[in-house]
Amino acid sequence: MAESTPRRRVPIEPGFFTIPEDPKAVPQLLGSRCRACGEHFFPRRVVCARCLAQGCEDILLGPRGTLWTWTWVHVPFFGQKQAASAGYGVGQVDLPEGPRIQAVLSGAQGDFAIGMPMQLELETLRETPEGEQVVIHRFKPVESSA
Amino acid sequence: MKLDNVAVLGVGQVRFGVHKAKTGIELARDAGLLALADAGIDLGSVNEAFVGYIEPAAMLAIKAMKELGLTGLPVTHVENASATGLVAFREAAHAVASGRAQVALALGFDKMSEMARGGQSGRGIGRDTIDSVILPAAYFALWAMRRMHERGTKPEHFAKIAAKSWNHGALCPVADRQADHRVTPEEVLASRKIAEPLTAMMACPPDDGAACVILAVPELVRKLRPGRPLVRVLSSALQTETWTPGHTFVGPVVGPATMSRDTANEAYRDAGLGPADVSLALCHDAFANEELEYYELLGFCAEGEAEKLVEEEQTSLGGRIPFNTDGGLIARGHPGGPTGLAQIHEIVVQLRGEAGRRQVENARVGLAHLVGGGSVCTVSLLARD
Repeated sequence: MAESTPRRRVPIEPGFFTIPEDPKAVPQLLGSRCRACGEHFFPRRVVCARCLAQGCEDILLGPRGTLWTWTWVHVPFFGQKQAASAGYGVGQVDLPEGPRIQAVLSGAQGDFAIGMPMQLELETLRETPEGEQVVIHRFKPVESSA
Repeated sequence: MKLDNVAVLGVGQVRFGVHKAKTGIELARDAGLLALADAGIDLGSVNEAFVGYIEPAAMLAIKAMKELGLTGLPVTHVENASATGLVAFREAAHAVASGRAQVALALGFDKMSEMARGGQSGRGIGRDTIDSVILPAAYFALWAMRRMHERGTKPEHFAKIAAKSWNHGALCPVADRQADHRVTPEEVLASRKIAEPLTAMMACPPDDGAACVILAVPELVRKLRPGRPLVRVLSSALQTETWTPGHTFVGPVVGPATMSRDTANEAYRDAGLGPADVSLALCHDAFANEELEYYELLGFCAEGEAEKLVEEEQTSLGGRIPFNTDGGLIARGHPGGPTGLAQIHEIVVQLRGEAGRRQVENARVGLAHLVGGGSVCTVSLLARD
């Protein structure tokens, strides 16, 4: 069966994550690294929050991290109808580079545990009248290979 | 800085709740008139005003002040999210301490019931932004879940704190929620779930209200209100976050725990007091798990001992250090702008010995603490002579 042309994906707000051409490819976060002290940040910034040096360089962060904490929100996810959702996960994920990322989680309430490995993905929130898919980053548990 | 020449001249608070029939400005006028009456003055005696609200609109402070009179006094708008009212109070205290004003007024008002419906209250609600997808309840829940993981805290601890606050609120005439029965932890736990492990009864209501505090040099307070216990403002600290590893920049966040500890330490140092001197404390308990954390961060117990404080009911009326004696954000309410001034109102009523059935025995020192937007913290200390 021939695949239909994938719809163009646009970010909910520019400047936070990559949108790979290939929908199956893993996205990354748009971050900064301080040229003076080496600290990493998300999102991008000019002045280092740690040593105050100016001129952080652009880097890509992720896509993997560790779940530091999580919760399950008992209301429909942004843009979804009550019937379509029993709630959604929210978590904070520590990246190996340092930053702690607060984001929506992909999965069911029983899927999460503090300390588990997580991976970034993009979720479609809605479609624009022009037919573009509006996406946001979220983390999902890494499937155990063992 | 230590404040050694600032006393409370008057306080006033409109009962928090849903006020459909009045605008925010009308609520502000009513609170202002209550405080002026308590002070025994009119606006002609006020040298400067600091007015706060978090509704995203310009010039409302000036409009509210015009309802009290047109005297030409300087008016400054103050906004620091949930901490707004307490920061307006801080500015008024420093205006008197600096000698620039003999009498300074702090006023706060908001109609959160309308902001919550309208979805126009800024980033985080109803807008197409990276951080609009996460509800405020979620970030306090993230903190609660981590606490449970690290310390073995149970939802029952949070429920017990919330029940305590509901029961304090029932004793406070200006509290929003005045339960007609004794609220139990079981009832709190059984209420609607919001975000694990938090339930609806562990959360503050989106309500409306206004509160006002008038400060003056002590000589004037003694002259205008002889025979009334003199309540002084000892210190008022304000800090923002310092960089710590794991800082989360995007999304509504709680901020580092160090912020409340550092701000409280500054307030204690400036006042020349410590936690052991404090008779009652009011803190930012938008969700019950916050209050548990602040027992430690404000210095009322050692790290890891907050659960014990709850189990022993040390923070209830009659306990070692009663918290949120007017019900706190959970029961007294949390309209936004006036919240911090309601805290000061409660502390002043307690220190004057006018708190009736919720009176803290021999109340001498009161502490008020608020955080705003997870990014600022302010702590004030007041004492009766």
